[in-house]
Amino acid sequence: MEEALLRIREVSKHFGGVYAVNGVSLDINHGGICGLVGPNGSGKTTLFNTILGLHRPDQGAIYFNGKCTNNLAPHQIYELGLVNAFQLPRLFYSLSVLDNMLVAARGQQGDRLLNSLFLRGRWQEQEKGLIEEALDILELVELDRLAFSPAGELSGGQRKLLEVARGLMAKPRLLLLDEPAAGINPELGKRIFQKLKDFSHNGIAFFIVEHRLEILFQFASWVYVMDKGKIVIAGQPQALIDDPAFYAIYLGEE
Amino acid sequence: MGPLLYVCDLIVYIGIFGIVSLSLNLEFGFAGLANFGKVAFFLIGAYTYALLSQIGLPFYLCLIAGALISAIFGLLISLPALRLRSDYLAIAVLAFGEILRLIMKSEKWLAGGNWGIAVSPIFPWMGSHLIYRLENIALVGFCLVICFLVVQLLANSPYGRAMRAIREDEVAAEALGKDRAKFKAQALMLGSAMAGVAGGLYAQYLQYALPGMFMPMITFTVWIMVLLGGPANNWGALLGAALVQIFDRGTNIAKDYFTLPIDPSNLQYILFGVLIILVLLYRPQGLLKESKVKTKALRLAHNGRSAVKNKGSQ
Repeated sequence: MEEALLRIREVSKHFGGVYAVNGVSLDINHGGICGLVGPNGSGKTTLFNTILGLHRPDQGAIYFNGKCTNNLAPHQIYELGLVNAFQLPRLFYSLSVLDNMLVAARGQQGDRLLNSLFLRGRWQEQEKGLIEEALDILELVELDRLAFSPAGELSGGQRKLLEVARGLMAKPRLLLLDEPAAGINPELGKRIFQKLKDFSHNGIAFFIVEHRLEILFQFASWVYVMDKGKIVIAGQPQALIDDPAFYAIYLGEE
Repeated sequence: MGPLLYVCDLIVYIGIFGIVSLSLNLEFGFAGLANFGKVAFFLIGAYTYALLSQIGLPFYLCLIAGALISAIFGLLISLPALRLRSDYLAIAVLAFGEILRLIMKSEKWLAGGNWGIAVSPIFPWMGSHLIYRLENIALVGFCLVICFLVVQLLANSPYGRAMRAIREDEVAAEALGKDRAKFKAQALMLGSAMAGVAGGLYAQYLQYALPGMFMPMITFTVWIMVLLGGPANNWGALLGAALVQIFDRGTNIAKDYFTLPIDPSNLQYILFGVLIILVLLYRPQGLLKESKVKTKALRLAHNGRSAVKNKGSQ
């Protein structure tokens, strides 16, 4: 059997005495959409931040593509193809929509100091290709008409779309999405997921935190349920829907 | 001094401070680093130039050495810059500049302490103040053009785009693969090197280097240049340098024609303060707007799109 793309083994992260993530192990396979759900405060975002290198795990190990990422800085993890889209969009608001996309491209020749000065021909050529890719992705999320407007002029929903599009621009192997459908209308949320599904056929894996279960369950092939820092149940969406324990966690045990 | 000489002198000053203003614009305008110790790197360049020219090194090596040593100090400053919030960084480097000045003032063995040291000019005396100034305009102009080209090429490249991204949101930029430590260190090194070159040119032009030339007010003057001209716009940095120098000279001349109840040189500082408040209140983006990232590929894409749009509307 093929080794999983992301392997998390017994990872814990505590802040003071509070274990936000407590001995979590899970696998994410190549391609496909995997969900992560759980009540507020169950440690989903902390787990994401630990995967991304924004927090160091206190215990356990994280392997991406067979490589241990425990001691890598966020920008190094990014270069491996493990990319994140923030829950609240963190765009570069004074830059244009297209520039926001171009910042995210991996393996750029021109973002090194000396290359940017002395190898202009080379990165200009690369940039032409990147712009085409960026415009293609922007067209998918219907932002291509705004490519040259400042990101600060986008509406809330458009910002969300650009945040997801920026993650796709990196051609990730695995894209972590923290509530991509939160705060936008359900129709648009569904459209975003449909587009992610299309991308997952091209070999990009998605790991998605989402409270909109009706949308997530429609598209995800596997869902992990987290509570109080632990993975308590995992399974296919249909199986979870039929599992009373799942409702107990989500709706409170009382 | 005749009016022509005076204008030539002004142009040399605009050139030298234009370089410093461009360097702060690189650090603050593009990379978002609040370097309130600009004068320290100006000082390092000036003293390096003065000391090395005394032992007989040719002027270009003195300028390059000033740039290198200044860049090394820029790298050292970048270490706290990674840990400190920008306001604390500002205080730390402000103190660094004052400490350096006080060291140069107190020492006697190296560079003449409070009295400074004489610097021999690059250009031999041709018997004319005008020629001396024109020669300096050419030299300063040459250095300014090189610095301007460098910062302009950087600003309009993926590197410049990444710097702006770090300025806007460094956590997001790091999560998007930009090594913020590297970018900040490089911005501070390059900016310091440029300020070092300007310091060397300054010492060479005045033919001396002494601690009194490097008061903290120099840093604030350069900040006014950048804020007035427009951060993240290299033309703005030059415009700001020119306007502030002209304002400085203009008020110096004007004070001879008025009798004032207070010391006119203090009044100049007050006017600078008022100027900066007015800029920040009424034109916070500066006279010139932030320049966009311009690359050939972006221009082509933009033109292509407007061509399509025009076709669509016909």
